[in-house]
Parts: sequence; structure tokens; C-alpha cells
Amino acid sequence: RAMELPPSHFPAARAAAVAMGYLRYLRGGPGRGLELRELRRARRQDIDDVGHKYYLELELEDVLDKDRTVNCTAEVLYHLGSKTSAPDVQVTVQGELRSTEEADEEFYNWIRSLEKELVAENIPDSHGNVPPELEPIHLLAWVASGYVIWQNSTGNTKFHLAQVKHVKQVKRSDEDLQFDYVLLLHEMVSQELLPWQVTLLWHPQRGARVSQ
Amino acid sequence: DQVLHIVPETFQQVQHLQLLCSTLMLDLWKPLLPEDIRAGEDLHIRVPAPLVQEVKDSLDQHLISYRVLIPDVQKLLGESMPRERSSHRQVSGGYVYTEYHPMEEIYQWMTQIQKNNSELVTQHILGKTFENRTMYYLQISQPSNKPKKIIWMDCGIHAREWISPAFCQWFVKEILQNYKTDPKISRFLQNLDLYVLPVLNIDGYIYSWEEDRLWRKNRSPYENGTCYGTDLNRNFNSSWGSVGVSFNCSSDVFCGSGPESEPETRAVAQFIKSKKSDILCYLTMHSYGQLILTPYGSTTEPPSNNEELMQVAKEAAAALTGKFGTSYRVGSTALILYSNSGSSRDWAHTIGIPLSYTFELRDTGTHGFVLPANQIQPTCEETM
Repeated sequence: RAMELPPSHFPAARAAAVAMGYLRYLRGGPGRGLELRELRRARRQDIDDVGHKYYLELELEDVLDKDRTVNCTAEVLYHLGSKTSAPDVQVTVQGELRSTEEADEEFYNWIRSLEKELVAENIPDSHGNVPPELEPIHLLAWVASGYVIWQNSTGNTKFHLAQVKHVKQVKRSDEDLQFDYVLLLHEMVSQELLPWQVTLLWHPQRGARVSQ
Repeated sequence: DQVLHIVPETFQQVQHLQLLCSTLMLDLWKPLLPEDIRAGEDLHIRVPAPLVQEVKDSLDQHLISYRVLIPDVQKLLGESMPRERSSHRQVSGGYVYTEYHPMEEIYQWMTQIQKNNSELVTQHILGKTFENRTMYYLQISQPSNKPKKIIWMDCGIHAREWISPAFCQWFVKEILQNYKTDPKISRFLQNLDLYVLPVLNIDGYIYSWEEDRLWRKNRSPYENGTCYGTDLNRNFNSSWGSVGVSFNCSSDVFCGSGPESEPETRAVAQFIKSKKSDILCYLTMHSYGQLILTPYGSTTEPPSNNEELMQVAKEAAAALTGKFGTSYRVGSTALILYSNSGSSRDWAHTIGIPLSYTFELRDTGTHGFVLPANQIQPTCEETM
């Protein structure tokens, strides 16, 4: 009952972007940025009174470990007619992603040791540059944008993070790190650049979550 | 890339290592030549990243023990090396092609290029932008007594797609640097004239340098000056206003007040119309997405010469991938991306130009519009 789709056509590509958003939120971090190397296969199932479900086979790469790829399957369900409900996404990563324990600890300790709260803007800058010490902040922005993209996508949108407009660290009394981001998301169909405020909490063992 | 340290124990192991080095063309650091590999002596080989696993598997299979001397050669050499190893600053005649340039410098560049290559290059006025800036195109034409067909290429119709004008400049440089020595290019120029418009949306491009890096449209005012910009690639007279557009000026896909309402659109359309019987191919360069797009955007109905269009595009994509492995998707905008109307590429095809393509250059979203300058060279080299 699931129809095979050409992976190069936009319906599959848009669903893949949602899966990537979800993956980045779930598995990304200051030491790991997941990219889609290739969408290998896509199928679609129309479920009466529910919505459209996409079955995807993705080949992922970690931008900090580009020599290899990891395969992943994903299911993306766009709910029928619902403008307020996020797509349901399930992912299964086949194999191991490169460990980021050391990099995570290093980053955590660095931020905790800062006297003044970190503030930065325009990442990357106009010429595409990111200062090396801000790369983890950039990758955490991917985590934050992954959440926004997952939560706000429909079958008629395709989001990418265009730029981090502004980021401010907020010191907390608990053990989490907090970063308040202003992200610019590019929506491919309307071509709009949409600013989005997101507060991201992160901890080396507990991972990331968006605070509402 | 990794550097492995091996001390072969037997003659058989030496033989296997020699075979490995020569078949995979591995980079021997010590000794320098495969024939100098000896049992009991240190061997240092640099293995390119994509081959690391294969080589290690082969060593394991032959019970050859090894140690990783350098786990990451690139890291050692410094952060900003692009993966394709051809990363030297490309400076030609004093102009740095591996950097993004503001409009002032591009204007100067055009004048210089014509001056330095006057036997081949002439600079012509196409028209004026809304803010009254002159639009120039470069004509690269080898003097000949036979009439030649034309290939037209425009860049920078969308302000924020900086890699696009960078490519047009690179393209011109490549042609002029190599036409005497490269047989392919010289044959090309014997039969074809190249017309290159390095920046179509000049006002928008300047605005993206000075005010808003992610601006897309031109800078013509609407609604009493409270709203700016038409999407020039929705403003052409091809099913104008029918799909994939907005009639609201505040939208990034605002199609203007009518087909060809914008001076930039009119300048290009008038010229192309006047030469249409001689134009063989219309190319328009954009970013990002890594796509070669064929007509149409407004309908999934294929154009009459779709087979030819697709075949040429597929060959181009294959050649492009062959350079550094960058993968490009090929197909019509309506199937690959979204529906849209009023695009320059569709319009060029409908007035009779047989081969009409939109290129969406690197990347696929990692950097999007803010592609780092260190990717200018590999992007341009593979696209050539």
C-alpha cells in the first residue's frame, strides 16, 4: 500500500528535511552536526482520515567525521489538515555515531568557566566564516533549529537554517547550559527568511531540549 | 587522511605492501619508492580518507600489523583546508577569484578584463537597474568570418546567492586564461560566442552587502515606498502570476505589478528577444541546492524537447560529480523543487531557445546562502 517515490522529487525531499530536523534535535550536540548525504529511497502511504506517511532511507554524515556515513530509516507522518500539529517522526540510526563525550565535556567546562556570559551574532558571517571556537555554538544552533523545523514543517514547506542572527548564553543555577538563540530559517517554497527565537538547554549527559 | 606506520616482517608482506601502494597509488612518505620497501624497516604511508578502511582491512587480512602515526593529516595542517586539495588562493591579474567581491570591484573587474583581453572581450550596456545603475554584459567572441551561435549566462538574479556572481567571474577568467592552450575551449570559441552577465540584480546585490545579507529581490518600491522589491525570477513573461508567487510586495516571491514590470527584467528580456534566433543555450546561475533544473516550473507537462534537455543535463551533472564527487539532482523545477511561474529560464524556452537551464550551485543547506569563500574554488572548478 506504500507507493515508491523518486527521491529526487520534492515531496520526498521535504519529508527528509523534517526527518533531519528531528535527528539533529535528538542526536546533535556541540560536537556533532548531522547532514543528509543522500536520500536513498522514499515511499509514501496515504492513510484515510489520518494523513500522509513517508518511509525514508537516509544516508547521514557527521560534519566532524566526514569520512564515513551512517544509514538511517525514518518515518514521517504529516497529519491531515492540521496546521497546529507537528509531524510525527520516528528514526532508527543503523550503526554507531562517532562519540562526542570528550568534546562535550570540554565544551561544557569551557562555557561554565566563562566569567561573562557568551554573546555572538551572525554565525556564519556574510562570507560564510565561523570562528573555530564558535563552531560548537553553531552546531547547537543546528540542534535548536532541528526542533523548530520538526515542529513547524508541513508538506508544503522545506526549512533550512540560514544563519544564527544572535546567541546569548544565560547562566543558570542548575547544571544545564542555556543559550537563547535568534535563528533565521530559510523556507524554500515561499523563499522567506523567518526569524525564530529559541531557548536551548543542554547538558553533556542529558542532551538537549528546547525550553518553551 | 591517515599516516600508517608498518614494519613488514616477511618478504610476502613486503610484496603485498608494494602491490597495495601501486594499485591504490598511495602516498609513500618513507621510503619514497615501493621498490625500496624492506622487511624489518620502517614504512610510513599516507592513506587518503576514503581508502583508510579498505587499506586497514587489507592489512588485517594479510596479518600485517600497523600503527596509526597521524590520525588526521588535515587537522595537523590547519582548519581551513577545503576537502578538495586544490586550495591555493586564485589570483589572476591581481584579482582574487577565491573571495567574494562587492559591486564596485566587479565593475572595475569588467573594465580590466576587457582591457586585458580586448582581442576577445567587449563590454556592452544591457540597460539600467531601478536605482539607475548600469547593467553590463561581457561578450567573449573570437573574430571570425562565419556567424556564430550564442550561449548566454547570467548570474546574480537573486541578491543573496553570492556564489553565483563569483562563478560568472571565475568562468570568464577560466575561458580567457585557457582558450589558447585548451583545445576544448578553443574549439568552443571557434563556433560559439559567450555572453556573460555577471550580476543581473545589481541593486539587490549591493543591498545584500550593505544592509541585509539575505535579501533576494530587487529594490523597486511599492505601496508608496513602504515596501521594496520584486522577485526578478517571478517577473518574466512565462505564465506570469499563475503559480508559486505572491501579489503582496512584502513576500519574497512577489512577482511585480505585471510581467516585465521591472527594469532589470526588461533589459534582459529585450536583449534576449533581439538575439533569440542565434541563442542556442540560456543558462541562469543560482544557489543553493545542487540542482540542474529544466523547464517548466508552472506545469509538470514536459517541454517538447524534454529528452534532449534531460540528456544534456544528466551528462553535465555526471561531469560535475566526476570532479569532486559533489552530487547534483536533475529535473524540472515543478517536480524537483516547487511550482513557480515567471522564471527567466521558462521564458527563454518559450520564446524558442532550445536549451534552457537553471543551475542551483552548492550547497544543499549546510551553509545555504552563506557559502564560505573557501568553497568558491571547488564549486567553480566542478561547475566548469
